[in-house]
Amino acid sequence: MDNNPVNEPLPDTASVEDNEQNLEMPSHTDESLPAIPNSAPATPKAENKTPKITVVLCPVGGAPIMRQRKWEVDSTQTIGFIASFIRKKLTLQKSDSLFFYVNQSFAPSLDQTVQNLFDCFGSDGKLILAYCRLPAWG
Amino acid sequence: MAEDREILREIWEGRLPICFTLATEEVSTPIAPDPFYLMVPRLTYFPLVTDKVRRHFVRCVVPEKHDNEMWLEFERHPLKWHYPIGLLYDLFVTNSELPWQITVHFDKYPDNKLLKCPSKDVVESHLMHSLKEADALKHKNHIMALMQERDHKQLWLGLLHDRFDQFWSANRKLMEHSAEDGFRYIPFRLYVPQLTSKPFVQYLVKPVENEKKLVVEDLLQRANLNFESKGPFQVVIHGIDIPLETPLQWISEHLSYPDNFLHLCIRYSPT
Repeated sequence: MDNNPVNEPLPDTASVEDNEQNLEMPSHTDESLPAIPNSAPATPKAENKTPKITVVLCPVGGAPIMRQRKWEVDSTQTIGFIASFIRKKLTLQKSDSLFFYVNQSFAPSLDQTVQNLFDCFGSDGKLILAYCRLPAWG
Repeated sequence: MAEDREILREIWEGRLPICFTLATEEVSTPIAPDPFYLMVPRLTYFPLVTDKVRRHFVRCVVPEKHDNEMWLEFERHPLKWHYPIGLLYDLFVTNSELPWQITVHFDKYPDNKLLKCPSKDVVESHLMHSLKEADALKHKNHIMALMQERDHKQLWLGLLHDRFDQFWSANRKLMEHSAEDGFRYIPFRLYVPQLTSKPFVQYLVKPVENEKKLVVEDLLQRANLNFESKGPFQVVIHGIDIPLETPLQWISEHLSYPDNFLHLCIRYSPT
């Protein structure tokens, strides 16, 4: 139950999601990434062997919906990368705020990796991230 | 238990002497400003203790940069403000040199490496969400959710004003657990820049399994990293070399940072 971050959209989308094809999130967005750690580039282009993690992006609190909810994301990518990806998809302005939550409780740091979050808070083989334009859970 | 409480206080009182110097290329006055020395708590965050550093140096940079956000660097590593100071020292200073020599910048904020920190509110929010994440691991987030706003403020103000009693009066609630099982999972982050490109690794480890108390060595084994490949190593937190047989529940209760995470650094002896 604790791994079920979003109440409202899940019941009616569960069936949709089953049929939904997972799209691969491109490794780079055009804009510069807000918070990539001081490590090596996350995705070496030459070898495309970085394991992928299924990330489900759930709008909450009236956040704009994206047609595609399930994405395959490189496990080494960060929350900051996903943030810039969503900003681009939803054409948010730089001044628009965007919040992420895991487990209906905490906002992960922008430099946290998808792999770490999946290892600690993933369920059913995927990581569910709630996103919203206003703070939802304190 | 009384002596263990002493450990909490000892850890709280850990300090680092730091010598701040303005980056030479940013000095705009005929004479470079003196270095600024400060003794800072290991457990806190730089933005909470560097107001004076900013005031000391800002008058020596060109006026257009007076409102820029200050950032810090050590040997070309931009220092992440959202890491506790003691962690940054354990991570980057391998020769234990003191005072710690840090360069101050007002120009060219490395946006791609550092998060922005326009105010102390951002630090408060970071601390609160780290506490919630730790509590999600330890108690399914039940304790932070049940705590009152007043308790959350105690945690923040205790750290901000360096008041041990104020912080721990609230923090002890977050350290409660059933006697036999301990926490659900141990909140920790393991920093191994020598072996992985990730800034840190984090995974699920229980303090007790099959009625056996797990220790630091068990935690390392589950990282799937070949620690020995780079020679003998130490596990360091608060500058302390931790014995590998230290029980995880004990270390989590006594050596966690204020965000309730154990920030464990792997350190190899210099070759």
